Amino acid sequence: MKDQIKKEQFFNHSISRVWNAITQQNEISNWFLPADFKAEVGYQYTFNSPDKEHCEPIIGVIQKADPYTLVYTWIIKGTNVETTVKWELEETTDGTKLLLEHSGISNYSGTTAIEMFNNFSGGWDNCIDGLSNYLKQEVHAG
Amino acid sequence: MQDKITEILKAIADPTRREIFHALVIAATALPITQVSSQFDISRQGVTKHLKTLENAGLIQISSKGRERFCTADATPLLEISKWLKFYEKFWDDTLSNLGSYLDQNP
Repeated sequence: MKDQIKKEQFFNHSISRVWNAITQQNEISNWFLPADFKAEVGYQYTFNSPDKEHCEPIIGVIQKADPYTLVYTWIIKGTNVETTVKWELEETTDGTKLLLEHSGISNYSGTTAIEMFNNFSGGWDNCIDGLSNYLKQEVHAG
Repeated sequence: MQDKITEILKAIADPTRREIFHALVIAATALPITQVSSQFDISRQGVTKHLKTLENAGLIQISSKGRERFCTADATPLLEISKWLKFYEKFWDDTLSNLGSYLDQNP
């Protein structure tokens, strides 16, 4: 059984275009979540939830931001569970390949992990539907 | 509690332990260790060692009743890992698909 998530996606856009989209605050706020973000090592970022009343923001610290690798910690505010998200871009002949990795769950003890999932069922998994709808509206409006 | 998820994953990485654990999950009840070891082609000590590893990972509980020792499977820790993965699999699929649409509209 694996303990991390890996995604690979191809974009028909230049590597610098994709890099800007994942590192610039105004761009992230457009396709992802309203962000307070700087691609600088040590910066404490915030991704706000579209439903602020019921959903805690995601916070973390930038670990690496060298073109074209971006790494940050990922914490749902109010929990003590820190995982890591890594974005790696690779130039291809006709665009850009993105490798995304979300890992770190294996750092947690069984009890903490169970608490973490209880937190999810208490709210964060419900926030995902709201988030998906929000993203659709934003992208189609843009 | 020191039983980290890494331990859970290591515990089920071994094919024999996975089979033992599977047999206990299927049984859905406490089984005497003697009965468990009779199902496997390895020594009783070997089975006991595997059971100890599974117990340390929190995947089974061992209790004594009279002279016999019984073990019960607890799959909760695995379900929790699987729930986390399932949640974020969908989250990142949605997110990356949105990034793709955004880039196509804002080249």
